Formats: sequence, structure tokens, C-alpha cells
Amino acid sequence: MIRLEKVSSGIGSIDILRDIDLTVTRGELVVVLGANGAGKTTLLRTISGLVEVRGGSIKFDGKTSEGAKAHELARSGLVHVPQGRQIIPTLTVEENLAIGAEHLSGLGRDEIARRMEAEYERFPVLKTRRHILGGSLSGGEQQMLAVSRGLMMAPKLLMLDEPSLGLAPQALQRILAALGELARTGMAVLMVEQKTSALQIADRAYVLKNGAIVHHAPAADLRNDADVFRHYMN
Amino acid sequence: MSTANFIQLFLSGLTMGALYALTAKGLFIAHLATTRMNFGQGEFLMIAAYLSMTLLLVGVRVILVTVLVIALLGLKGWGLERIALRPLDRLKSLVGGQYSWVLTTMGVALIMQNVATLVWGKSSQYSPPLFSASRDNVVKIMGVGVFVEELLVIAAAFLVVGLFYVFLFLTTHGRAVRAIAFNRETAALLGIDVTRTTVLVFVIASVLAAISGILVGPIVTVQPHMGLVFTVKALAVASLGGFANPLGVLAGAIIFGMAESFSNYFNSAFGDLYPLLVVLALLVVKPSGLFGEAKADVR
Ligand SMILES: Nc1ncnc2c1ncn2[C@@H]1O[C@H](COP(=O)(O)OP(=O)(O)O)[C@@H](O)[C@H]1O
Ligand SMILES: [Mg+2]
Repeated sequence: MIRLEKVSSGIGSIDILRDIDLTVTRGELVVVLGANGAGKTTLLRTISGLVEVRGGSIKFDGKTSEGAKAHELARSGLVHVPQGRQIIPTLTVEENLAIGAEHLSGLGRDEIARRMEAEYERFPVLKTRRHILGGSLSGGEQQMLAVSRGLMMAPKLLMLDEPSLGLAPQALQRILAALGELARTGMAVLMVEQKTSALQIADRAYVLKNGAIVHHAPAADLRNDADVFRHYMN
Repeated sequence: MSTANFIQLFLSGLTMGALYALTAKGLFIAHLATTRMNFGQGEFLMIAAYLSMTLLLVGVRVILVTVLVIALLGLKGWGLERIALRPLDRLKSLVGGQYSWVLTTMGVALIMQNVATLVWGKSSQYSPPLFSASRDNVVKIMGVGVFVEELLVIAAAFLVVGLFYVFLFLTTHGRAVRAIAFNRETAALLGIDVTRTTVLVFVIASVLAAISGILVGPIVTVQPHMGLVFTVKALAVASLGGFANPLGVLAGAIIFGMAESFSNYFNSAFGDLYPLLVVLALLVVKPSGLFGEAKADVR
């Protein structure tokens, strides 16, 4: 679904990512692990068109995607749930849910309502909160809303930036379970994390350090070999 | 003060308040959505007032005048974004700082003042009435004669404020504006075309200027320097409103309009001074505006 070959990128005069090779296929759940400042957020922002690609190539869904505008990529099914959830505080839960889907061309009200019901089934707490302002949700609820808001756009690739950040264990488990389920139904899922909790549901893992991929292995291997992981993270 | 005087002053305060509200909303929808605003918002209003006056004087029907002036000003808003604002983003690393838009939009305002002086002359002019057959058409309210024109201007201004809220709260584009006001990158990730939405914001701000310009023509005198006064007063009104609460700007505008109307009655020489003093006094007591605890939003 997504293939990065020798991708380099940066912001202004700073080069941040170097020679990144990374793939995520349909139905696969891939996690990129890295310490604070490793370049995880920049990696996702590069893929989603917010950061300029300076070398290499990115193919999304078989087509070259570097240089495309972020909103066009989002509409074509490359959905990025940003760091810090970015729930629009002055919109209600329901308006937050709809706001991405609303900008997809040819999507009728009925279809939006149908997708919304599906999200309420996935995360029932959102339904009970649907008329409340997004800003007054708890962290866990906001993360669920952020995931659901992305799913409303029917992604082919769902990217999540540190969804576990600041979540209680229970909320985290709910979200990880939902993501595992999505991958099983054929969606490509790419998440970046500092914590290893995502390894339990991931198929493959990359380790990112100082803007470069330094290790790549099946998630099970890293699960069983905490030493390797610690070695690369520091 | 007689009852008749009081009602007349009250209504003219309400009228000007409603018009300041429209100008203030034009400034601050742009500022909250893009962190810029059109410092020539008042000049846009002035141009709209002249265009409307000219068309009315040659006998074009009011409804057609309204459509034409709104369309022309909408086009001006689009042009302003393209010419005076967007290039600054591309050149950010080469020219001035973060506030170069202040200079470019003020520059456009100065050009418009000069163009207006060139085309329509320096002297003040009166625009024909919009709604009633003549300027002096009067109805009796509680035994007091009130200008029909003024009542209808108030009604129209509040109608437009209402429509503005309907747009922001109940339409897809309105929600897109609120999304880019929150965070432009997040909005883009949600499939919102940020560039187009920014253009839309400036078009809306100009349309608000167009409507206030059309409405203001018959109740004040039209002259090339009327714009700056509107911009300054709208800034004062918006700070009084705390830029945030949905009713804040409206309440601020009405307080301002009233203060102006009554102070002009008591002291016409310095009438314009007192409402600004009222704003200062209120801001000393409540620095964040009348309803100021709320978070910033395009409302
Ligand atoms: N907008 C920016 N401008 C300059 N440097 C940046 C910017 N964003 C990120 N960086 C730098 O790029 C590196 C990677 O940042 P980031 O991708 O946010 O890391 P992570 O998400 O893994 O914590 C850091 O050294 C950071 O300082
Ligand atoms: Mg990050």
C-alpha cells in the first residue's frame, strides 16, 4: 500500500530523515519505534505530504505520491492521525467525526451517517458523548475520536502518531484491539511509537534513530528480545 | 432628554452597532482563521458604499445593486488574498517578518482611498435610501416618529449576522473555516483544501464589507476617508467582544454603537472619543473582553 525508497526529507535548512526504506502492505500492521526526536513525526508528515521530500520516492496505492498536496492524499485514502490527537475543541464529537468525511467528494449524508454508526459501535463511549464539545473529552476518549475521525474517511492506509501517549492501560488496550481488528480486515496500518506496547499487535517493526532506520525485524522477534530493542533505542 | 430623542438615539446606536458588528466579524473571521486580517476592511466598506451609491443614482434596482456590489467585493477579497497575502507565504524567508501582511493590506487600503478620491472626489455625498421611497419616510413607534430606512437597515444587518452564524455552524465550508482556525495542518490531514478555504475566508470578509457598505450609505455620508474610522472602531468592538464568544462581538458592537450615539448627543465635538474611552474602561476591568474566558474561535 505504501512504499518508501531511499526517502530523505527535511524542514527549512535542516535535513531530518535519511534514506528511509519502508513498506506496509494491505492487511499489515507495522510499527516504527524510536526515541524522542528520532524523526517519527517527521516520517509520518513526510508520507502525508506536509514535509517536503528531498530524495527518493514514495508510492502510495501504486502511484507516486511525493509532491502531492496533503489534502489530496487524505482524500485518496492516506489518513494520518496526528500527534496529540488534534481534536477540534470547539466542534462537537459528532462534528469532529464528520469533518474529514464531509470533504470527500460524492459522499452522501446517508453514507456519513452509516459510517458514524459503525464508529459508535467500535467505540460506544463516543455515542454517549456525541453532542459534547471535543475539547471536554478525556485523553482516551479523544484518541478514540481521533482514530474514528480518520476511519470515517475510509482509509487504505491509516497512520497514527503515538496513539498510546498519555493513555490509561485500559483505553490503550481498547485502541490497540481496534487497530489489530482493522488490519485483519485488510487495512494497512502504520504507527510510530516510543513505547513497545504496540509490538503485541504488530506484524513487523522498524527502529528509527537519528532520522535513519537502524533495525528491521518481525515484531515477534523484538517482543522476545528486549535487549536488541534497548540497544537501538538509546 | 425627551422620549423621542431617547428612542431616536437608541435606534441610531443600534444601527451603527449592527454595522460595526459586521465589520468586526469581517476582520476577525480572517484573523482567527489565518492569523492575518485585512487592515483595509473599512476601505472595502467605503468602496462598496460608493459603488452602491453610484449604481442607485443611475437607477439600478436595489436588489441588483446588492448582487453586483457583493459580487465585485467578493472578487476584491479574492484578489487581495492572491496579490497582497499569499505571495508573502512563498517569500517568507526573503521579506519582512510575520507581520508583512499589515503593510500590504494597509497599502491596498491607501490605494483604494486614492482611487475613490480620484473617481468620486473629496467631498461627502449622500446615497439614496435603499428601502423607502424617500429618506424622510417615517413611522410612529410609541408616538415617536422613526425613520423607516433606519429600522430596515437594523433588520438587514441582524439578518446578515444571523446568516453568518448559520454559515459557520451549519455548513461544510463553515466547519472547514473553523477547522483551519484550529490548526491548518490538521485541517489538511482531514482533506480540507486549506488554500481554498483561506480564499473563502477573505471573500466572506469582503462580502461582509460589501453588505455593510451598502447599508451604511444612506445613513452616514459617503467620503473617501470613512473607511479607517470603521476599521478602528471594529477593532475596538472586537477586543471588547474578547474575539471569542459568539455573542461577544455583537454585544461589544451594540455597546459601542450606543455609547457613540448618546455621547454625540451630549457632546458632538468629541462624540467619537467617548465610545473608545468606554472600550478602554471596560478592558481595564475585563482585559479578556466581555465574555473573555472562552477559547478563540471564528465566531
Ligand atoms: N518544524 C521543525 N523545524 C525544525 N526542526 C524540526 C521540526 N520538526 C522536527 N524537527 C527536528 O527533527 C527531529 C525529529 O523530530 P520529530 O520528527 O518530531 O521526532 P519524534 O516524533 O520522533 O519525536 C528533531 O531533532 C526535531 O528537533
Ligand atoms: Mg513525534
